[in-house]
Amino acid sequence: MNITLTLRILGALLLFLAIALLTPLPFSWFYHDGAAGSFMLAAAISAACGGLLFKFFRTEKELSVREGFAVVSFGWTVFALFGALPFVLSGAIPSYLDAFFETMSGFTTTGSTILTNIEAMPPSLLLWRSLTQWLGGMGIIVLSLAILPMLGVGGMQLFKAEVPGPTADRLKPRIQDTAKLLWGVYVLLTGVEVMLLMSAGMSFFDGLNHAFTTMATGGFSTRNASVAAFDSASIDWIITFFMFLAGVNFSLHYLALRGRLGDFLRNEEFRFYFGLTVGGTILIVLLNMQGVYASFFDNLRYSAFQVVSIMTTTGFGTADYELWPVLCQYLLIFAMFIGGCAGSTGGGMKVARILLLIKHAQVQVYRLIHPRAVKLVKLGERPVDKEVMQSILGFFAIYLGAFVVASFVMAATGMDLVSAGASVIATLSNIGPGLGSVGPVDNFAHVPAFGKLTLSFCMLLGRLELFTVLVLIFPSFWRK
Amino acid sequence: MNILIVGAGQVGFFLCERLSLEGHDVTLIDRDQEQINEAQDRLNVMGVLGNGASAETMEQAGIKEADIVMAVTDLDEVNILACLLAREYGVGKRIARVKSIDYLSRGAVLSKDKLGIDLMINPDDAVADELANLAGRVGAFDVAEFVEGQMQFLGYRITKESPLCDLTLKELGEIRGMYRFVVVAISRGGHTIIPRGDDTIQVGDSIFLFAHKEELPSIQYMLQIEEEQHKGTKRAFILGGGRIGQRVARALEEKNVSVRLIERDQQRCEELSAKLKKTMVIHADGADIRVLLDEGVENADVFIAATENDETNILCALLCKRQGAHRTLCLVNRPEYLDLAPSLGVDACVSPRLSAAGAILKFARRGNVLSLATIEGSNSEVLEIEVKSDSSVINTPLKDLNFPRGAIIGAIVHGKSYDIPDGENQLKVGDRVLVFALPEAISKVERFFD
Repeated sequence: MNITLTLRILGALLLFLAIALLTPLPFSWFYHDGAAGSFMLAAAISAACGGLLFKFFRTEKELSVREGFAVVSFGWTVFALFGALPFVLSGAIPSYLDAFFETMSGFTTTGSTILTNIEAMPPSLLLWRSLTQWLGGMGIIVLSLAILPMLGVGGMQLFKAEVPGPTADRLKPRIQDTAKLLWGVYVLLTGVEVMLLMSAGMSFFDGLNHAFTTMATGGFSTRNASVAAFDSASIDWIITFFMFLAGVNFSLHYLALRGRLGDFLRNEEFRFYFGLTVGGTILIVLLNMQGVYASFFDNLRYSAFQVVSIMTTTGFGTADYELWPVLCQYLLIFAMFIGGCAGSTGGGMKVARILLLIKHAQVQVYRLIHPRAVKLVKLGERPVDKEVMQSILGFFAIYLGAFVVASFVMAATGMDLVSAGASVIATLSNIGPGLGSVGPVDNFAHVPAFGKLTLSFCMLLGRLELFTVLVLIFPSFWRK
Repeated sequence: MNILIVGAGQVGFFLCERLSLEGHDVTLIDRDQEQINEAQDRLNVMGVLGNGASAETMEQAGIKEADIVMAVTDLDEVNILACLLAREYGVGKRIARVKSIDYLSRGAVLSKDKLGIDLMINPDDAVADELANLAGRVGAFDVAEFVEGQMQFLGYRITKESPLCDLTLKELGEIRGMYRFVVVAISRGGHTIIPRGDDTIQVGDSIFLFAHKEELPSIQYMLQIEEEQHKGTKRAFILGGGRIGQRVARALEEKNVSVRLIERDQQRCEELSAKLKKTMVIHADGADIRVLLDEGVENADVFIAATENDETNILCALLCKRQGAHRTLCLVNRPEYLDLAPSLGVDACVSPRLSAAGAILKFARRGNVLSLATIEGSNSEVLEIEVKSDSSVINTPLKDLNFPRGAIIGAIVHGKSYDIPDGENQLKVGDRVLVFALPEAISKVERFFD
């Protein structure tokens, strides 16, 4: 572990955060909400800390695997620590711990909030909250790769440590070009959504915020009632569609934009994701027929929105699914574990991993029947590398392990059984709302301080997919 | 540039490393997932798993956008097929590593053009040429010729006895007097720097300099590299009569060096003595030092160990060095041994694969760059660049141009005359400029002259 190099890169990332902290300023001036000063102060603090780190730690070493893990894990933590400053400095969130929770929830695109009255917040702070999700969605490290030339050579280490999914796709030979393309697609889709939302009746401010948090599968809203506040079928359908897109591997979007639409259908993970979403929606529509909604179209609209929102780990709400039949809630909990596709902005265990786990189980059973048969686990046409398969099995075990341990801690803080489990899966899978006392119409304000810290850690674990964070716990990581 | 490399062996890996560092888009094809993973993790390249001779794999690797295809697997057939495919896809430059003689010999039915290959490179031939080149010099461990041999780029190791030891470059400039040459780089402990006036030359350094070929004797005099003992013809020993040994022997014959070639196999000895004209072929085991001593290895000007076995090469080279052989050159295949040899006392080590990679790089970068050499043990390069008429750098004093950091102009050649530049020199159309550049500056230098 080269600590000098790690600190130097963290310095560079902080300088970058300082610039990001200045972007809400025009909104603050436009709305005269009085938060401009706190943004400038927060940017100055970040820039000063970052500048000092960058100036005093000099090294010519190249980034290796270990520093890659450390830079990404600490980078995200530092972003949450400094990104929380505007909330505290402006007094909008008095407790620093609450602000840290909110910012971590932002950058990791979770969407769990401790705010009880969102509409009372200054608009520029709401925009910053949405912006944290947007930056975290495609990945702050991937963005810095596209922008900062200093991360050149070891870039692949960082890219792999941050991009979700069992293996990281490359669109171009150079990792910087790949990062630029992914961000390009992301910006384009966000822009299209802003325009569509505005044409459906949202203001520019609401449209921008919701587009930011939809494409990032984040789920922060500018309204207390989330998307339900707009009460418009067209807005619901637009957001459902874009949430669905955000849950798809962005490499596929890139290929589609290049005219290769057929790749969507040829991609097995996408087909499975599509099947799960449609199948889940149909099931829940059927279950909700028994008198929950009067008209079929309302039923379809609310069911589809909730299923896609949970499945892609966005966490917007237009209906309180806790009022639905228990079986519906059960299905949604499943969806919480699965999450979006690899290489998307969604969280969870990822569709690709679940698909491969199922196939692996099939092969195991098949081998019992035909002991001498040679059968490989394949994704699409290609056999899956044994190492990848093993890392998926490990991932699955650790994911469940993390869920069990963290739920235990949450129960120990005094939460009831359902809320303790649901709060952990809602943060570990980066969804936002859970069940019980942290359900879609509740918030996380009442969670005890230690619980908030635990959940913040779960968000980081989930967003960086366990391994990147967990390796730091091993003492041998730090030894020379 | 989009570059497609087939084969992630030593040659391929080295090419990937160099080209990706220079900012090219490099895609690597190999049949071994582990090799691909290794390259993707350590270098900024994209790996594609598959057979380089299949169109499907090639398309997946983006051959339609490729500017250069380098097929460097150790299978001739795959390399040739890859180049044929590349021609069908309209790739501009196609390079193949080919070791079998059938394709290469002059009377071959299948010529280079028929196979769609612009450059065929045989690692053994490339390294043999390099060995012969090194053997022809006295004292220098690294040699490259530029501007049709007029200018030489030389590397010297500084020993305790060297008169340059502990001199600053400024002092060197004063005693240099009328001799015109310039020290462009000092390599010390694995780092290469471009020295300034107050940098000191220390024991164990390697210094690199540009000089005109007519200045060579005076430089050797200055460096006190004794040439007095060989008044007559030079004497060279070559251990190992394989393809490489044979080629080196033939090249040295042409330079009027008296060559003794030691080969273990009786039959091969007979073949060699039939093919070579003046070389004395000796049937003996290389490690049998008595035979070597009988033949006078203690007075040899150069001992070249070129068997297939790295350990034999290094050990025999050390043995002969101790017996008094003046210089020893060593053929080494394993890259790990390459850096080790100088510390042991072998004068220079060369590797077939690195020589081949060097030759490929040289070819691939042809454009403004006329010629190029890579420097042992570092990633630096020497570039020979012709100043084009549309270049923005002409007719302005050098000090007013924003020449890239990490690079230095060693000489400017116009026709038959040349200048060791200072800030006042101006570049003219048609000048050949010799530039020494550290790896990060190479692409900047190329852009500078565009």
